[in-house]
Amino acid sequence: MDFHAAEEEEFGFSRNYFLAKEMGSSGKKSACKLSDINVVDEQELREASANLEPKHQNDVADLINSYKSLYPKWVFDLRCGFGLLMYGFGSKKSLIEDFASTALAEHSVVVINGYLQSINIKQVIIALAEILWEQLKLKRKVSSQSLPKVQQPFSSRSMDDLLAFLDGPEMDEKDSFICVVVNNIDGPGLRDTETQQYLARLASCSYIRVVASIDHVNAPLCKLGIEVDSILEFQLLISVFFLAGCALVWDKKMVHAQFNWYWYHVPTFAPYKVEGLFLPLILAHGSSKQSAKTALIVLQSLTPNAQSVFRILAEYQLSHPDDEGMAIDDLYSISRERFLVSSQVTLNAHLTEFKDHELVKTKRHSDGQDCLYIPLTKEGLEKLLSEMS
Amino acid sequence: MAPSLNDDSPPSTIDEAFTENNLQPFFVLQKGSSRKSDGKSSGTGRTRRIDLSSASPKNSANIEDEKEDENMNLRMEAFEFVWSKIESTIKDVLRVINTNVFSKIQTWVHQSFDTIRSLGTPEFPEATQSFPIITDANSKRLFTGLVLTKNMEFVDDLLTFEELGKHLKYQGCHVANLSSLDFTPKNGVGGCLRSLLRQFLMSSLDPADISILASWYREENCNNPVVVIIDDIERCCGSVLSDFILMLSEWVIKIPVILIMGVATTLDAPRNILPSNALRCLCPFEFTLGTPAERMDAVVEAVLVKPCSGFIIGHKVAVFMRNYFVSQDGTLTSFIRALKIACTQHFYTEPLSVILLEFASEEDNLVLEIERHGLSPEVIWKHVFELPSCQRVKLNKPTSESLAHAFSELKRSQNQWRAVVLCLYVTGKGEKVRLLDLFCEAIDPESYNQGEFDTNMKAEKDPVLSSSQIKGHVICKAVRLVSLSSIRDLSTAQLGNLLKIWENLTVGIPEVIFAGSFSVLVLAFLLAPTFINGRELKIPGYSNRKINGKVKELLSLLNVEDGKSSKKDLTVTPRRHTSRIQLNIEKDSKSLSDKAANLIECMVRDYMHPTECIPFHEIFCFKDVDKLRLALIGDPRRRIQVDLLEFQKLLCCRCCTSSSNALLPSMHDTSIMYKLAQEHGDLINLHDWYQSFKSIVLCPNSKRKPRQSPLPKKRKGIKEGESQSEASIQYPLLYHSSIFIFRKDLRILDHSCYRARFCRAVTELQITGLLRMPSKRRPDFAQRVAFGL
Repeated sequence: MDFHAAEEEEFGFSRNYFLAKEMGSSGKKSACKLSDINVVDEQELREASANLEPKHQNDVADLINSYKSLYPKWVFDLRCGFGLLMYGFGSKKSLIEDFASTALAEHSVVVINGYLQSINIKQVIIALAEILWEQLKLKRKVSSQSLPKVQQPFSSRSMDDLLAFLDGPEMDEKDSFICVVVNNIDGPGLRDTETQQYLARLASCSYIRVVASIDHVNAPLCKLGIEVDSILEFQLLISVFFLAGCALVWDKKMVHAQFNWYWYHVPTFAPYKVEGLFLPLILAHGSSKQSAKTALIVLQSLTPNAQSVFRILAEYQLSHPDDEGMAIDDLYSISRERFLVSSQVTLNAHLTEFKDHELVKTKRHSDGQDCLYIPLTKEGLEKLLSEMS
Repeated sequence: MAPSLNDDSPPSTIDEAFTENNLQPFFVLQKGSSRKSDGKSSGTGRTRRIDLSSASPKNSANIEDEKEDENMNLRMEAFEFVWSKIESTIKDVLRVINTNVFSKIQTWVHQSFDTIRSLGTPEFPEATQSFPIITDANSKRLFTGLVLTKNMEFVDDLLTFEELGKHLKYQGCHVANLSSLDFTPKNGVGGCLRSLLRQFLMSSLDPADISILASWYREENCNNPVVVIIDDIERCCGSVLSDFILMLSEWVIKIPVILIMGVATTLDAPRNILPSNALRCLCPFEFTLGTPAERMDAVVEAVLVKPCSGFIIGHKVAVFMRNYFVSQDGTLTSFIRALKIACTQHFYTEPLSVILLEFASEEDNLVLEIERHGLSPEVIWKHVFELPSCQRVKLNKPTSESLAHAFSELKRSQNQWRAVVLCLYVTGKGEKVRLLDLFCEAIDPESYNQGEFDTNMKAEKDPVLSSSQIKGHVICKAVRLVSLSSIRDLSTAQLGNLLKIWENLTVGIPEVIFAGSFSVLVLAFLLAPTFINGRELKIPGYSNRKINGKVKELLSLLNVEDGKSSKKDLTVTPRRHTSRIQLNIEKDSKSLSDKAANLIECMVRDYMHPTECIPFHEIFCFKDVDKLRLALIGDPRRRIQVDLLEFQKLLCCRCCTSSSNALLPSMHDTSIMYKLAQEHGDLINLHDWYQSFKSIVLCPNSKRKPRQSPLPKKRKGIKEGESQSEASIQYPLLYHSSIFIFRKDLRILDHSCYRARFCRAVTELQITGLLRMPSKRRPDFAQRVAFGL
């Protein structure tokens, strides 16, 4: 019976797809241009967007409030060792954070904002280890047991060590866990495979419980019920899904043995205010361009050295407004003089980071040499520099 | 960066979004309070508890709350107890399955170690040098055990390799477990070494150097083999694995490493992954683990069929779990996870589930002290009365005692059911009957209630059984047919063996009633209302002899017959049913195996009572398959689309509910946009989409059917000024709407507002992955991603 239903569904899916394809390519494609609508300045549009009065405000509030009755159940599930995965339309950020601060008042809670562009997962794990250390110290003091001295600070330990510490033997009280709230676990800052692997390992630690939200319809590959017969096929599918803008690829180990998800459908219809902040607005001028504000947010998530390298470039651009950009060699020599980079490799690592987030672009200089520039206006750049300091 | 907070002006929403914390990659929301004295109560997460500590006098509601909290904590305790029992049972079962392979591996490890040692041990000066010793090609051979898992789902074997590691450690080996994650091109061979050092030396040294490992081994007195287990080589990076093998092979005299590698596909796997120089270093041996289906059956037997924890699952849940295993996920791990979710759900929703704590541990003489479970007797009895299975049998006045007796009866009935299921299983084993399938059929209450057995009997007698006849309960019938035919085809010796197994399985199946252990009340309760759905509910063992006795009888008959090689008649059919199934006809012509077949038929009919047909089973049995499905699988792809298409159902707003599918301006913007997107092909012209959207939100009585295609050409000509005047005309109509989207001042109703709303909706669709933004090649078109739910 189920089998037939699944088959039917699959058939429906492909039929719809081909129908849509047909409609799209039947020659009736509209030729109207986006530019026919008067596109406006991004800042103006963002302001207008921020001032929109939300629809159904009370209904949305009622809906979100109705989930409060589920809080005890969620705590129960966390204590049973599950991770909670919230999905459904609407921002779930405030819902989850409210849950964490009210129902988990006696637990430490760390929030990761996955919607941001760049997140250093190691920093998060170091912070978690420090919190756990404090917690254990406090407990041992009460129970007059001695805690082994920390051999080296957490910040200089390896990921494996940190995770091993968080996965330590459980204490007498089983429910003394630290809750990690992950807003948009499928967001840009957490999407890469390595970070997901670390998150999965983190989730399987004995002292950690994860409450996460997911927004993308195509979230995890193995949840789509796709049977994969070979590793090659699996890899192929992964690449296809990445190309299709699919958010995550979790293997079965991650889903069943590490994250151990308990799915909850909690649509909120709350606006994706902060989550949408870093996405370009479709009707804005130069929507693909980096705004000073988003550039700042990206920069703040980078290391101080990387920020300083960026500053050198920005200052150069401001002082040489007529130049096409700064030569990489020049940037390297100045950065090296200031002890910001030790080698070309380190500089390249920073540059890759900048380029990935469109903070910096490369241009071929008239003399044939590659040079770097920041795609921001003079005012924008000045504003950025002042806010950085 | 931080928003300038001005108390006079209300903070704009953009500033709210820009609060410091929202823009931090991560932040500490709160630190756990040190007070943990009330420990367990923290778990229930009842925020109301804060109110209880206030000075207000405790009223009855508060007391009820406290009781509920207490009950919830007890349920949590019961869950932990039950689940730890299930978990340890599963571990034991899997360990037993692997015992043989593990001991073979262990013997091989020690033999290999002896061989390595026979090549010579390094002298002191050599041993202390920080480079390897190579004498000849033999001294570079690395003993490698290839463990065939026969399972693509490596997640099921993680535990196996972990257990193997423990087993070998227990036997004195130094063991390190590596996973495919240690063999990534990013970390290279250094990553594997670091992992080895961490596991052997309990420290992370940088730079990782194998000579450190060599000196560690020298200090360990060189008496034990070093085993490195890699759980799944097919997921490892070939070049890193090859480097690792080459490195270990050079050091094998100083560090006698024995490799154990998990292989999911075929034994050719190493050849496909490794270059020839690495392959030359390997000296392979093969081992094979049990198949996933064997493991599944063993787990089902130990956890779901045999008495393990007292917690059971209902028929629908079992069928769902089986289907999920067979056609979707295919891993035992997910099956166990589903069971855990079911268990969690059950303990959370069923207040009386706390009883399982005692039910699982106590023997037949269960003494219930309801008050101990943090619930008042009134609440309990009310709950008991409301159980559907209890309402079916009209219980006069239940007491703790009667409840306890009913539980004993439930237990007894389960034991009988179990014995029959296992008898069927061993009988059908030769025909590859899976216990999981059999289990699903054996707990089906409907087939039992419909008196399915009788129809089966007819079907069995009918040699030409069409497929349509066996549809529905195909497995159960097939099992019976198989078991019957296989019994009839058995030789006397085989039959003897089978009967012996039956005998063992039916030992201790209690005979009911007349033992004097039941009070009159229980008798009245259990015996009087024995009509369910117009069908007589048989009380197991009431008039039948012990199953075990019958099996013994048959066995002795077999021995006699075997000895005398002559046919002898003995009717073993229970007296009560003799007339109905007419087993006594043609006594003389019946063979002994027919009798055995008849016996199992009787056993199925009389003893295989699905738990769901027994009163009070809800206390132990989880049946809510929908909740399990939602929690286990989730379905973001479908559900998020349904959220948008049917948002009014979730928001319960009256303004957007209409009988037709018309799009109303009061609807959620993203919902309108998504519904409009359904009219497009895979590409959506942004201009047209914007115009359609604007026309909907501008014109409240344009009851457009979503299936009507947009008319971009007509709308294209609409000037923005016209739109505004149109809006002004419609204004009185909108004014009274509680969901009015704009500020009441119509001056704000300008174009940037529409644009902003349009943009926001597009962004939201982009976040949900339902839309892809325009590419450079097609700047005027967005792309739909999802087609169909």
